[in-house]
Amino acid sequence: MLPSTDDSILEDTVGAQLDSEISSLQSQSKHPLRTHPFHLTPLVLSLKAARKTQATTILSSRATQATLSRLRASQKPTTSHQTSSETDISPLLSSATAQAAHSTENLYRTCAGITTFRIRDPDPHAVDSGHVLGIRIDVSTSGKFVRPYYIMLNKPWAGKELLRVHRHTVPACIPLAALAERWLPNGKGAVAMGGKEMGKKQDLSRFVRAVRREVVGYHNRISIIKGLRREFKLDEKVSRKGKGRERIIADITAADAEAKQVRIEWVDGRIGRAVVDDRGEVGKCVVVGEDGRDREVERRVVAGGMEGIGERLREGMY
Amino acid sequence: MTTLSIPTTSALSSSQLVPSSHPAVHKILHRLSRPSLLSLVLDWLDERNQENTAPYLISEDAEPDDEDDLYPPASSLASLREIYTDLQARKGSKRDVVDRVIEGDWRDGISLYQLAMADMQYLYDHPGSQKWTALKIAQLSNDEEKPLSAVPRFHPATFLRNLQREILPDVKAHYNLDRHATLPLLILRVFVLESPYNTSLALQSAKQKAILDSSKTFYVAFPDSSPHIFVSLATTPQPGGPRGPSATTSDNRSLRKLILDGIPKAFSKPRERYTLQGTSLAARNLDALVEKRGGGRTNAAGGGWGVYAEEKNGKDNPLNTQLPTPEASILEDDTMEKTADKTVGLKRKREEDEGIVRRRKLVAKGRFGNTAKADDGKGIERFDIRVDDLFPEETAAEDEDLDGNARDRGKKAKGRRSTISTELDKADDDDVRADGWRPDVRLTFHGQHVFAGIRELVEAGIVDGEKMPGWMTGEEGVSLGVVRDGRMRGFKGTGM
Repeated sequence: MLPSTDDSILEDTVGAQLDSEISSLQSQSKHPLRTHPFHLTPLVLSLKAARKTQATTILSSRATQATLSRLRASQKPTTSHQTSSETDISPLLSSATAQAAHSTENLYRTCAGITTFRIRDPDPHAVDSGHVLGIRIDVSTSGKFVRPYYIMLNKPWAGKELLRVHRHTVPACIPLAALAERWLPNGKGAVAMGGKEMGKKQDLSRFVRAVRREVVGYHNRISIIKGLRREFKLDEKVSRKGKGRERIIADITAADAEAKQVRIEWVDGRIGRAVVDDRGEVGKCVVVGEDGRDREVERRVVAGGMEGIGERLREGMY
Repeated sequence: MTTLSIPTTSALSSSQLVPSSHPAVHKILHRLSRPSLLSLVLDWLDERNQENTAPYLISEDAEPDDEDDLYPPASSLASLREIYTDLQARKGSKRDVVDRVIEGDWRDGISLYQLAMADMQYLYDHPGSQKWTALKIAQLSNDEEKPLSAVPRFHPATFLRNLQREILPDVKAHYNLDRHATLPLLILRVFVLESPYNTSLALQSAKQKAILDSSKTFYVAFPDSSPHIFVSLATTPQPGGPRGPSATTSDNRSLRKLILDGIPKAFSKPRERYTLQGTSLAARNLDALVEKRGGGRTNAAGGGWGVYAEEKNGKDNPLNTQLPTPEASILEDDTMEKTADKTVGLKRKREEDEGIVRRRKLVAKGRFGNTAKADDGKGIERFDIRVDDLFPEETAAEDEDLDGNARDRGKKAKGRRSTISTELDKADDDDVRADGWRPDVRLTFHGQHVFAGIRELVEAGIVDGEKMPGWMTGEEGVSLGVVRDGRMRGFKGTGM
């Protein structure tokens, strides 16, 4: 919620904009405005968004920070006189604090990739009185952050510090269950992190790192396959004029859920399957055409990483 | 038609013809609506399908051998297509179209592939016609079930070949794979014929027996990149069978079991064995199943947790500098629209305090997130719960004899039990019953969209949204469960 003080700052520009928009709308529509309340909704929404952006910019600017810290300093000794002052600055201060916290969180999310937060389980019967640890995994691929993945952990065993995955938003192609069994064992003899006893020890940080590694690997493989498709112009319409080079590859797709198998289809009917390992190296490859296997192409595909498949195939062609 | 039938182990071919006069053919075609029947026929007339769906055509110059043929055979595909496109534009009865197909253009017989297409069309037209059970594929190693380290790869051709090998040699099956139009699903239709032969003679000779009834058809749906499969139950007994329903249903049950047993084996390959596990989720709605057991993010984030799984137009991004909007103001936009169209006929609402209604909506939003909305089309129609809580302490004095009664009742109820109660009792393994009497309370929620209904009750103030236990929000993603101490058992964490 934005404090009222922001309005005064932004009033001029936004107000003028709103007025002009409304008048233009009124002139456009023959009917009175009241019958068309929905015309205004997108406009109001965009204005709200603009206001938020401006408020954010103002709140996080260096000049505002300086002003705010001066204000804070001046406020402390005169708390008793606060009622008498003409403008109440406490909402401004609180939203500035919230903004600062948000910026810090973003910084951690961008740089660390794995961040934690607390959630309260709304279920009144939830274990451990509803304390849930949220883990957020931020991954960027091809210059953009994808939607973060969340893992929620709780401690369902009374008197023990053992963690267990409560909820998560990790798709099935990431082997979360297997990783949880490896790093967050909770059967007999399992020991919580920092426990002194001997046994299968839980290790949250290694678990989370393993999950993130899988997630990043998955996204990298997907984006490499996308890149290969772009390289061979598979997503573009075939140009009718027949100019340019003949198409040689008919299709490149991921053959399984984890995108660890790449299916390559040539125009002349050859079909290939390449198996990629965790690190993106091509481990195995089979290319079968009408007259048996094509060892030459297989050798080319296997000779290196997944991202170089396109280049290596090209070398063989021309 | 071959005159010699040799028992084989191969599958029924798609182009195998079923005589058009067979009552089942008429039944299958007749249950489609007229528009979908016509579009189906036009699909049959497509060039690409001619191998399996060729109509009866005669060459241009051949003399029509029968002068008073009601449906004179066409001479080319194009002219037939024209006739049916014409029918599409005109109004008329469905009966005419069915008759034309059976007695005219496909008088030689309808292929199994065509029947499969018609059945699939019916399934798409009536998404609620099958009840689906979600099963999980788990890895077997040294006869222990282990979590999957990878989603088993599904290769249709290999899978079908392996499945055919698992099916007994005196049973023939016809397989048809189809891609669901909107959902990321591959649907396999298995039609089972009890005959060791795979020729058309087998289809004809078995005519007197009800071979083509729909209870011998099974559906298996494979969601993309998900370690689950959905199987249709289809255990409803066929009414009015001459041999009595009991024999056929037990037959069908064993056939179904056969196919179910074959599926994990067909998935397996050397040094990688799989088995199927129940997931306590069954529903008619495939959308709901895909959401709870599909390849996406919502599998283990149901109910209120769904907010973490949903798309937020790139707002949940570390590069977004704007403060997240507080819940209260998000709701404002929502309610504004809702109250606008709800003003009609809601006199009682007016009397209630705006603030209380708003607060209830907020609570409902907190508990359910953006799930369980009446119009999201992801409703499950039945939700069975056994509550296993301790009897409240205040009535401790009466405990003794009540306990005895309950035990007696438990013994008496040994006769026939519904599958659901046996399923619920399964979870009742090695429990210590020393801590007090736990009455056997069973609840069944029934309706079009059970959780949307509960949400509406919360919003109306009939159910207290804050005290409501978590399983009522549907966040566990099951349709069957045992509740103990207010929590779904076996779900201390997710059913990963």
